[in-house]
Order: sequence, then C-alpha cells, then structure tokens
Amino acid sequence: MPMSFLSNYKNVTALFLLLLAVALLEFFEVRESIYPGLLPYFEWLKYSSWIGYLGTTYGSVYATVQAGHLISMAVIGGTVLVTDLRLLGVLLKDIPSETISKGTHKCFKYSLVVAILTGIFCAAGVADKVYYMPVFWIKMLALLTGSGFMFFIKQPLLNSRPHNEINPWAIRLLAVASILIWFTVAATGRWIGFS
Amino acid sequence: MINELLLQFAQYLEAQVYSQMLVSGYYSWNWLEATHVLTLMVSIGSLFIIDFRMLGWVLPDVSATAIADRLHKPMITGFVIMFITGILLVYAKPVENVQSLWFRIKMLLLVLAFINAWIFNSRMRAAEGSWDSARVAPKGLRRGAIISLCLWCGVVAMGRFIPYDWVDCPKVSNTAILWASGCVEQLNAL
Repeated sequence: MPMSFLSNYKNVTALFLLLLAVALLEFFEVRESIYPGLLPYFEWLKYSSWIGYLGTTYGSVYATVQAGHLISMAVIGGTVLVTDLRLLGVLLKDIPSETISKGTHKCFKYSLVVAILTGIFCAAGVADKVYYMPVFWIKMLALLTGSGFMFFIKQPLLNSRPHNEINPWAIRLLAVASILIWFTVAATGRWIGFS
Repeated sequence: MINELLLQFAQYLEAQVYSQMLVSGYYSWNWLEATHVLTLMVSIGSLFIIDFRMLGWVLPDVSATAIADRLHKPMITGFVIMFITGILLVYAKPVENVQSLWFRIKMLLLVLAFINAWIFNSRMRAAEGSWDSARVAPKGLRRGAIISLCLWCGVVAMGRFIPYDWVDCPKVSNTAILWASGCVEQLNAL
C-alpha cells in the first residue's frame, strides 16, 4: 500500500527528498563547508571567463543583457500569472484551465532559459560581489525551488488528469504557491541591485 | 528654450521637501523602484502574452480577442501602478532624469507604444470576428504586435540604462547629444 502510494507521487516524493536533503545539509552545516569552495568558480567567472570579460569591459553590453533579463522575467511573470490566476478562477474563466496551462508552458520554458542565460551573464560581471550577498543565494534557492516545483509538481499534476478531477484546494494551493515562489525569485533579484 | 524650461521645472521639483524625502529614504526609494520593476511582470507580462497570441506563439487555439479582452484589466492595473511609481521616481530625481538621454528616449518610446496600442486596438476591433479563431492574426495586427514588442523592449532597455552615466552631461562634448539630453549648462558654456 505505501509503495503504490509512493509510485503515484514519485515526482513529489523525489522533490520532497531533495528539499529534505537541502535542509539536512543546512542543519549539519555541510553547506557552510561547501560554500568557501565555490569562491574560485565565482572568481574564475568574473576574471577569466569571456562573459565576465564582456560584462566588466563593456557597460552597454552588460546593461543590454540586464534589460533582456528583465524582459524574460516579465514574460515568466506573465505566463505564471495568467496560468495561476486562471487556476484560481480569477482570469479567463470561460477558457478551460487545461488549455491555458498547456498553452503557456512552452513560452514559460523558453523565457526561463533566456532568464537563466542572461542571469549567468549578469552574475558573471559582478561575481565577486554577489558571492558574498545572502540575497543572491536566496534567489538561487528560490529559482531552484520554482523550477523544481514547476517541472516536478505543478505540470505533472496539471497534465495527469482533467482539472475538474483534481481536488480544487490542491489546485488553489498549487497556484498560490507558484505565484509566491516566482514573486520571491523576482523580488530577490531586484534586491540584489540594492545590496 | 524647451530644455531651459524643463530644467527650471525640474529644479523647482527637486527643491521640494517630499522629493528630497523620497530620494534620501533608503527604503522609500528601494520600495518605489522595486515596485516599479516588479510590476513589469503584470503589465508587460500580460501585454506580451497578448502580442504573442497575435503572432500565434502562445495559446493559438484560444480566441485572440478573448485573450486581449480578459488580460486588459490586469495589464492596465499594472501600467497604472508603473506610472504612479514611475512619476514618483522622476519626482525624487527630477534634474537627473530631465537631463538623461535615456529617460528622454524612454518617454518618446512610451508615446510611440501608446499610439501603436491605440491603432492596434482599433484595428483589432474593426476586424473582430473575421479572424478570431485563426491561429495567427492578420498581417496588420501581426505587424502591430511586433512593433509593440520592439517598443516595449526598448522602453525596458532605456529604463535599465538610466542609472548608467555613459552620456551624462559632464561626460559628453557632442553638441547634438548635449541638446538631446538637455544639458543646458554645457550648451551655454560652448
């Protein structure tokens, strides 16, 4: 019985175990011992990689890529809001939520790829600064959580069966959690600029 | 003449207590700027979904006018918040903004984007029904959607450039750029 229950929710279980592992790493201070080992990679990113060179040498290129990062985040925000507000029954109520969630997911994936690529470029230009910023690491954790949540929980659940067969509260929780996670990613990203 | 008037008005605003309060308060400035940027996700996020639908990139099986109609309210709400926070951001640093080339280009692009939105909207209403369920909108509307995407990308990019000082008045010697940026002092000194 427990095995069949777990096999029904293997993605959720995998993500839960991953988050538990992260929590344990934090609890036993393993992360703190790994953390100093990451500094050389950040220094390499800024001083030795070509993206670090481009970002630090050409301010206009850096600012243009930053704008691209903002635009991709705006598109992520648009797709997340449209899908989640539909799931909450606030927007586009006359269109099936299955159609909305499937129709916006491809756009979300492309925007996420652009956001990550432009984000790496932006981080490379100031890698020696962001490494010491707690808010940068919070953003990375939020981004990991958001991506894991989207690809291992939200989409598999929404694609598994017609939405009217899923517990409405599960759908509402899914939508609220998704909005909160992606808002955290965007807000922490903005806060990096202030730190 | 216009540059002098704008600068005088900006100096008048900058002398006000509330303007100084906004810029000197660490949290007031940061909250204002963060709200302005984060609202992009609602305003430009919704707008891009509408434009992408016209181009057939998202939700091609859903009626295009339904998407445009239903996303109109959140988009306008986002834009209203952006305009309020944007006006307050300019009010906090009026002289810097009035003499910024990027700010001026941003305002120009904003005007063009609104003219395009108005034309786009009236064309969409005029053609309503004839193409609504088609996966891709007619050529005129597709062109409008691409112009809208380019203009708004330009608005975001110019907004991002404003804090950079590459073409700040003291750093520029080109007369055309000085005039376009409204660098009154530097122009008078020539």
